[in-house]
Amino acid sequence: MRALRSLAPFFVFAAGYAAIALIVTNSYYQSMLTLVLVWASFGLSWNVLSGYTGLVSFGHAAFFGIGAYTTALGQIHLDLSPWLLIPAAAAFGALAGLLIGFPTFRLRGVYFALAMLAYPLALLYVFEWLGYQEVTLPMKRETPAAYMQFADQRINTLLALFLLTTMVFVTRMVEQSRFGMALLAIKQNEAAAQAAGIDTIKWKLRAITLSGAMASAVGAFYAVVLLVVTPVSVFGMLVSAQALTVTLFGGVGTVWGPVIGAAILIPTAETLHAELGHLVPGIQNVIYGLAIVILILAAPEGAFWKARDLAWRRWPKLLADGVASSNLPGREECGVPGGQRARSHPHLPTSHSHAPAAAPVPLLSVGGLSKSFGGLRAVRDVSFDVPAGTILGIIGPNGAGKTTIFNLLNGFLLPDGGQVLLDGRNLVGRRPHEVCAAGVGRTFQVMRPFARMSVADNVLIGAYIHAPTDDEARALAADAVGRVGLAHSAGRLASELTTRELRLMELARALAGQPRILLLDETLAGLGHGEADEMVGVVRSLAQDGLTIIIIEHTMKAMVRLVDRFVVLDRGAVLMEGSPEAVTRDPRVVEAYLGKKWAAYAQS
Amino acid sequence: MLRVEAANAAAGDPAVMGAVVRDVGRRKMMSKRSLVRLLGAVALLATAGLGLVCPPARAQNPSEVKVGLLVPLSGLYARPGAVMRMGAEMAIDRINAQGGVKKLGGAKLKLVLLDSGDTTEKAKNAAERMVAQEPDLVAASGSYLSSFTLAATEVTERAGLPMLTLSYSDLITSRGFKYIFQTSATSGSQAEQALPVIVKIANAAAFSPKKVAIITDNTAASISSVKPMKEHLLKELGIELVLDETFTPPLADATPLVQKVRAARPDMLFFLPTVISDAKLVLEKMNEFGMGQGRVPVISFGIAIAEPDMLRTMAPELLQGVMSAVGSWGSKGHEDLMAELKKRYNEPWMTQNAISTYADMWVIKDALEIAGKADREAVAQALRTMDGGPSKFYPGGRIKFDDKGRRVDAGLTIIQWQSGVPVTVFPPDLAMAQAIWSKK
Repeated sequence: MRALRSLAPFFVFAAGYAAIALIVTNSYYQSMLTLVLVWASFGLSWNVLSGYTGLVSFGHAAFFGIGAYTTALGQIHLDLSPWLLIPAAAAFGALAGLLIGFPTFRLRGVYFALAMLAYPLALLYVFEWLGYQEVTLPMKRETPAAYMQFADQRINTLLALFLLTTMVFVTRMVEQSRFGMALLAIKQNEAAAQAAGIDTIKWKLRAITLSGAMASAVGAFYAVVLLVVTPVSVFGMLVSAQALTVTLFGGVGTVWGPVIGAAILIPTAETLHAELGHLVPGIQNVIYGLAIVILILAAPEGAFWKARDLAWRRWPKLLADGVASSNLPGREECGVPGGQRARSHPHLPTSHSHAPAAAPVPLLSVGGLSKSFGGLRAVRDVSFDVPAGTILGIIGPNGAGKTTIFNLLNGFLLPDGGQVLLDGRNLVGRRPHEVCAAGVGRTFQVMRPFARMSVADNVLIGAYIHAPTDDEARALAADAVGRVGLAHSAGRLASELTTRELRLMELARALAGQPRILLLDETLAGLGHGEADEMVGVVRSLAQDGLTIIIIEHTMKAMVRLVDRFVVLDRGAVLMEGSPEAVTRDPRVVEAYLGKKWAAYAQS
Repeated sequence: MLRVEAANAAAGDPAVMGAVVRDVGRRKMMSKRSLVRLLGAVALLATAGLGLVCPPARAQNPSEVKVGLLVPLSGLYARPGAVMRMGAEMAIDRINAQGGVKKLGGAKLKLVLLDSGDTTEKAKNAAERMVAQEPDLVAASGSYLSSFTLAATEVTERAGLPMLTLSYSDLITSRGFKYIFQTSATSGSQAEQALPVIVKIANAAAFSPKKVAIITDNTAASISSVKPMKEHLLKELGIELVLDETFTPPLADATPLVQKVRAARPDMLFFLPTVISDAKLVLEKMNEFGMGQGRVPVISFGIAIAEPDMLRTMAPELLQGVMSAVGSWGSKGHEDLMAELKKRYNEPWMTQNAISTYADMWVIKDALEIAGKADREAVAQALRTMDGGPSKFYPGGRIKFDDKGRRVDAGLTIIQWQSGVPVTVFPPDLAMAQAIWSKK
């Protein structure tokens, strides 16, 4: 399995850790070894939700505490063993995740974070009110092993190591499947993810359910380690903060982050506490706090990413190897049909011929589309048809409602009136990922790349919508990358690309979803002269392959040579519709929007 | 001496860690295959570094016997922890000045301080550190909050280290543990004892309360303190409960609560706050409504309401007459201790934290005399079987522990704010002043 193979370094780490755990006899260091693993596991559970989706949770103590009380109360009242109660706690945690996620995912950003803060605080009071201010796990002198109460603390450490290994494995499985891809896409740009066909609510709910289960299992084990459970010690702010601290310190969005964070912070805090606490009471917290502040300033994304960036700068070969092996495991891109096409690109068409004139049945038919924002009528009664295999250009000055029309077409916005028929089926009222699944792909005016991901992975996000398996998705993505001519850059990080390459990559991401119609929002913006020509070539070749395209653009020069028809917008309404020649020669259009310069160009 | 030793230990750690880090540095240069692996190695070796630090060498010094004090020295509860340390230091100095442990040839006691911090996890870690790195300890005292004591004793019990505690929670001595000795009356016992005692004090002032009001916050200690009262004690004493209010701290406004008290016209009010600001709000409002300064006698539980810190936020007049039931207090017969505490540490009066911890050291010393050797098992056995006669520093009962580890017949002390100082007013043999009981 890919997850297993990619975890080889972790297994080396785990084996070494186990070896050390077996050598250390000092019970204090042994408990430190256990706690490092516990908090690393907790950090990983937080990471699955917040690290990958970017929805910061200040309330993971809710799950942690539910787990801890499951173990404690289950053993006190039902005399059940933690061996049973830890899995049970995971189930409760999953349920709690679902219950919490359902209402809370209506919120975004800081509102989500604040709402999450409320859950553990509420639970803290509930458990106090229930009279569980202090509970202890009864000591089992006769059958300690049956109740996970080992006199030899090394066994605790090994159990914690098993827990961590499970968490790492689960995380890596998520990371390498469409689950993780979807979460990363949501984190980097939720709108782009929806437009790429990802049902963001569904994936977020899955993430919080899994994260809740993991956190709860860790909390359940923590109760076994600490033996005393109080509301403050498991639902308290410090618990939630611990998950954030180890993960932010070590690195967000990677299995290594929480492990590194916990391995450094937990022993450091404890050593400072042990060595300085009784000399200058409180100084340990000052030093600890300062150390974290300094590291966050030096490495805002965490120690792991900083170290990786430094290493890649120093040993660039690692970069190529690393990305290729982790992100492009199936290097079969040359085998798919797109590969050949890729090599024939880019070629600039020398002669300009318009697509077939006769197209009786329109693929997309927009009728009476309207949208108001308060008193502003952004789109007024817009109607147009797009025949299959043609390119429609939408032009108009800033604020004419061009992008709003796209947002209405792909489901970001709900129109006040009108209809959008794709092959006769109305798309109005469907959510963006459903519209995407129906065959409408789009790119954005402001580019929305997933910066930390490779080109191949960026495109892969868009490919899942019509790919039942991950392998098929990879093939589709490789095909799309080839079609836009980026095959040679597939392994590079999106953050390293030029504007031209980013535009092409976004195009490929839209293509990977196998759209029937493609909405291109100012795809030529920010490109140099030659680059724009290249882009025009790519778009035209897509049309020649049978794709239907709507393109919004300011750059008239490139547009007149690209599109079959124009729709000209003025303050939300259609001013005129017609062929490029007709539009560019229309005095109203020329005067009002384009100026005499363009009129002269069009006539020449 | 303690400081020197700790400084050495601190100096030792970085040296070892430094060597490890340098070693990692060399490996880094050699292996360039995977950074991830490197990071793993760093983490590994850092932890290994921890494990390699040797515990301090075991010095079997018959002229010195180590006693642990595991209390919060940092964080939210540092202040009570510091006061406990004062009590322990005073006791150790006096014991050593009197010739140490005579049965051990005059061996001196040596205090080993451990910081239990401000969380249950830190308290347990500190206990782990105590048993792992101080194998010579014969006994310990700690850890202020019940939840810290619960966590710490999970460790000391398994290590067979006897531990004395002033914490109240019944749970501490309900777990079947063999190495825990609770010197205060448990909270359950205090709750049972308090009401009859208060009625006795009222009767002594020729007053017989018929109506009582209860205002409590919803914390564990508060709720459990009033529970037996509501369940049976009031009924048995023929007292009517005219108001029973529970609030969640912190209060924003005490007016509604105090208005209810005024409407109910109780003869006394049991008021159990945990947060000082809540105490302040209610007492101020009582004063405003003409019920303050003892006109409606206010009785609380626990030492929080009688800490010197109270005077930082409240005028002494507002506290005048407020009583509290506590596990122990600096009282009659402890005058020299109180004087020393004031002189040496500038503490205005002796709270339970100081006097109980002071007494703990003496109990350990007595147990050592009985055990005749500096061995924790022998000391534990001595504590289980000893009868040290009537208690001098804890209220009531004897220096004798039952099979649960609870001090036999442990009583409680009632203190009352009088002219800006909380003084003992009950039991009579410890009382430093007559209780003030206003008859409205």
